[in-house]
Amino acid sequence: MTYEDGKLKVVGTRPIRPDGVDKVTGRANFGADHSMPGMLWGRILRSPHAHARITGIDVSKAEALPGVKAVVTGADMAESSGSADAGESAINLRDLSRNVLAHDKVLYDGHAIAAIAATSDKIAREALKLIDVGYEVLPHVMDVDEAMKPDAPLLHDDMFTEGIEPTPETSSNIAKKMVIGFGDVDDGFAKADVIIERTLKTAPVHQGYIEPHACVATISEDGQAVVWCSSQGQFVIRDLCSQLLGMEAADVRVIPAEIGGGFGGKTTVYLEPVALMLSQKSSRPVKMTMTRGEVFRATGPTSASSMDVKIGATRDGRITAASAEFRFQAGAFPGSPVGAACMASFAPYDLENVSITGYDVVTNGPKVAAYRAPGAPQGAYAVETVVDELAEALNMDPVDFRALNGAREGTKAPYGATFKVVGNLECLEATKDHPHYKSNLGPDQGRGVASGFWFNIGGQSAATVAINPDGTVSVVEGNPDIGGSRASMAMMAAEVFGVAVEKVRPMIADTASIAHNDVTGGSRVTFATGMAVVQASEDAVEQLKKRAAKMWDVEVEDVVWQDGAAHTATKDAPLTLADIAAQAGRTGGPITGNASINARGAGPAFTTHICDVEVDRETGAVEILRYTAIQDAGKAIHPSFVEGQMQGGVAQGVGWALNEEYIYSTDGNMENPGFLDYRMPVASDLPMIDTVVIEVPNPSHPFGVRGVGEAPIVPPLAAVANAVYDAVGVRMTELPISPPRLLAAIDAYKAAAE
Amino acid sequence: MARVLLSGDLGRRFADGEAEIEVKGDSVRHVIAALEDLYPGIAEVLSDGRMAVAIDGTIHQDGLYEPVPADAEVIFMPAIGGG
Amino acid sequence: MEYQSPGTVEEAVSLLAGASGTSKVLAGGTDLLVQLRSGFVEPDLVVDLKRIDALTSITEDAGGFRIGAAVSCAELGEHAALSAAWPGIVEAARLIGSEQIQSRSSLGGNLCNASPAADTVPALIAARAVCSVVGPGGQRDIPVEDIVTAPGETSLQPGEIVVSLNLPARPSRSADAYLRFIPRTEMDIAVVGSGVSLTLSEDGTVSDAHVGLGAVAPTALLVSEAGQALVGTSCDDAALDAAAAAASAACDPIDDKRGTVEYRVRVAGVLTKRAAAIAYQRAGSR
Repeated sequence: MTYEDGKLKVVGTRPIRPDGVDKVTGRANFGADHSMPGMLWGRILRSPHAHARITGIDVSKAEALPGVKAVVTGADMAESSGSADAGESAINLRDLSRNVLAHDKVLYDGHAIAAIAATSDKIAREALKLIDVGYEVLPHVMDVDEAMKPDAPLLHDDMFTEGIEPTPETSSNIAKKMVIGFGDVDDGFAKADVIIERTLKTAPVHQGYIEPHACVATISEDGQAVVWCSSQGQFVIRDLCSQLLGMEAADVRVIPAEIGGGFGGKTTVYLEPVALMLSQKSSRPVKMTMTRGEVFRATGPTSASSMDVKIGATRDGRITAASAEFRFQAGAFPGSPVGAACMASFAPYDLENVSITGYDVVTNGPKVAAYRAPGAPQGAYAVETVVDELAEALNMDPVDFRALNGAREGTKAPYGATFKVVGNLECLEATKDHPHYKSNLGPDQGRGVASGFWFNIGGQSAATVAINPDGTVSVVEGNPDIGGSRASMAMMAAEVFGVAVEKVRPMIADTASIAHNDVTGGSRVTFATGMAVVQASEDAVEQLKKRAAKMWDVEVEDVVWQDGAAHTATKDAPLTLADIAAQAGRTGGPITGNASINARGAGPAFTTHICDVEVDRETGAVEILRYTAIQDAGKAIHPSFVEGQMQGGVAQGVGWALNEEYIYSTDGNMENPGFLDYRMPVASDLPMIDTVVIEVPNPSHPFGVRGVGEAPIVPPLAAVANAVYDAVGVRMTELPISPPRLLAAIDAYKAAAE
Repeated sequence: MARVLLSGDLGRRFADGEAEIEVKGDSVRHVIAALEDLYPGIAEVLSDGRMAVAIDGTIHQDGLYEPVPADAEVIFMPAIGGG
Repeated sequence: MEYQSPGTVEEAVSLLAGASGTSKVLAGGTDLLVQLRSGFVEPDLVVDLKRIDALTSITEDAGGFRIGAAVSCAELGEHAALSAAWPGIVEAARLIGSEQIQSRSSLGGNLCNASPAADTVPALIAARAVCSVVGPGGQRDIPVEDIVTAPGETSLQPGEIVVSLNLPARPSRSADAYLRFIPRTEMDIAVVGSGVSLTLSEDGTVSDAHVGLGAVAPTALLVSEAGQALVGTSCDDAALDAAAAAASAACDPIDDKRGTVEYRVRVAGVLTKRAAAIAYQRAGSR
């Protein structure tokens, strides 16, 4: 069943979100808001060194401190091996185990070594000071290019680069090499009239969620565990904890708290396995939270990158060849998103010859975690900068150049698959027509555009709807709400039932109450979980029709469902949801609908952004004057939340472009692990971000939905950098474009011109 | 027959340099088995949990049992993770 | 930790002078509370000054102002006469942190926290503010630039508190201005702060000028040479450039995650030039 656009009553409107009042009144329960009787407080001891061998850990003095009930170290963790399916990509359990608690080596400033559970937070902190750790400090390496050199300090003796034949005999910091593409780039470059080649770099940036990691965990004496935590996926928390600790999944129940932002950073575990181990040793519930400093030092930022991009085109503007090499820093363990960067960065273009090489490189920093379209913003920064230069060299308008070469239905993506119907050209057209693009600029002001792409994924989702005796509907799903999705679930269900959205209550269930759901991430929830909710609702409608037929004593084929009620030709009065629900006991029992799917056909999102800046030539400060984001959402279930996702992605991208970076001392310690000196945009740093939601429906979804959450962060890095170039004629090939860097570049440009 | 495209250097590394191969198979599992007959060792790489498969443009993160229609385009590519 | 909330200056001084362990005074707490939470300080005694009238009021005094050391920056901004006479000091106070912070932060706290990057100190120095300090030995006046001796350290003796910051009577055709450079628009610690206060004579040339610089040395600086460069001029480009050069020359900054030496020296000159131009324009329109 698909739903016709013109006839929708709920989908596309903007009801107040069901979780809104709780969140603005402080009633909502986040990860740190839970307490249990007899609870202990847990704290973690972290490495002060970027790279060191652990020669010994003596916890005896800490254990002896009154109030300390349990101490754990890496030695207490079961030796983990193999990989776990986190629903999106395989996670190496051995590496994860060593990241949660260091085994023989510490690999970054902040790496967890030991943990204490005590009767108060104060005692737990004091006890940490009593743990003696012996370190043999080793040389460290922070920069990705430095880490690739043959004489670089080595993090793992057993790392032999994958993806090279024959496998190297000496270990290195290069975990993996990959190559994707098709055609013949040498031939393509030979045909080009103009070739632009650039090297660009970005620094590590953090997801910056406002809520630090927090959990309460308890294991009873008979091995039943409950974990209360905020996460982007209670099922992945359950599966990772159970596998790391050698428990059965059914013995670990994870209850999702409200989440104060995740952006990909909360799709893994840090505190939860440790809290469980402490609870097991102490036989009491254990609460653990991270300080902001711990969040920065020890939870994944995204990869720093070093990138080479080369694009060639003929004089009439057609790209003949494109190549790139992406070197991504993974932090202490392999797993940077270089693969996605390779596959996504050239996706907005219809290419005949393309070749992209990617390197996944370890360095002495925290293990990187997913950050909103992981890998794509870095890659797009590089590609969209070079595209901008190429358009200029060819004397073409940058939007026209992109449209001429734009990906469309039938285009072969760089990773080889052919695009079905997509909205890239529609976004470019809307950009060209937008009043922003046509408006004038003043002195020291500039405009930049950039395109972006994200795959969006489908995945496993399970949903249940239950019709309550009074005709209200409960929708039960399993995905934490990070973007307003629970409101969208209620709206889609209400649309199927033909009732007001106020009659539908969405609920996010724990791991014991509903079947497996893949993480909230990959821009999949409104698409995949939405699809499951729609199917579960349609299933319930079939039940309702059967019950009505019974009540009327007619054939079920003669019953139609419309506007929240069953209708049949031989009766004047319809039977409403409430009417049928009231009789449910007599007609066969409670009425429910179910769906359990692996959603297919996720539609990719294309987006184009326009950014205007003003540069203060004497200080290097950049002001964002105006910003417009144009994106294909397929179908906006709740337009305010789609717009909100777009604005949020832009805000993060602007911060990434202008001021955010991890700053390390020469000893490899993070110098700015706090929001004071890790500079994310504050409200006064941004103008209102205008959004245009294009709707090129995805035929695979009942309402045409495409994921929207990740694509918005992809273009801003290049949009800002291209705007700065337009303003002052300086091409910034390193992020962030902080005032001292820009001022130095402006000076150099002036000197060169003289 | 399914048209298999081995992205990037997969062909060079495991299929004697061939990037486009036609094999018989009505599901991804059968396609992989057919490829293994031609190029022993390739099955392990293609079945790795970190590989995704696109069938006529639709990406499947875990597509081992997915049906492959006649004349479909089948592409093996690295799986992606979202955030 | 003991908390006391005395009602008079004498009581406060007596508590502090008699304290056996470490003690801290509390005005708005926008520095102290952050330090307490992060475990940076663990005082035995905290003396809250906000119940003391002399510290929480602004009085006009023979053409000048006595600003209680614990008056919030937000209140300063709401004081019409003060804002009119000293726009530079008020705009400096209204740059600290954010709107929310300013409803608590105070001049006394900003000064005595002794950060080299304090936002109000350069403007107070340029204004030639004098602190009224009371301690066990009685009352004394200390020029504001002599309060802070090093990062985190003041010249105050045990038991002494700054009761008020006193601004002199203003000749007519006088104005001040304060500019600060930060990478974002709010919430950052100053990379450079420059305060300029000047007076014009009848013919529109500068008869008196003072420049204060912050975040470019271990303590905020009174840069006499920069002020001198403006005296006798009408703040034309040449005079502004000379003041800027003098400001840059006086800098002795550090390289840290907030700014490099080179950048601070450069921007100190740029801000001084701009602040002087604003002060000149303000003074000229009176």
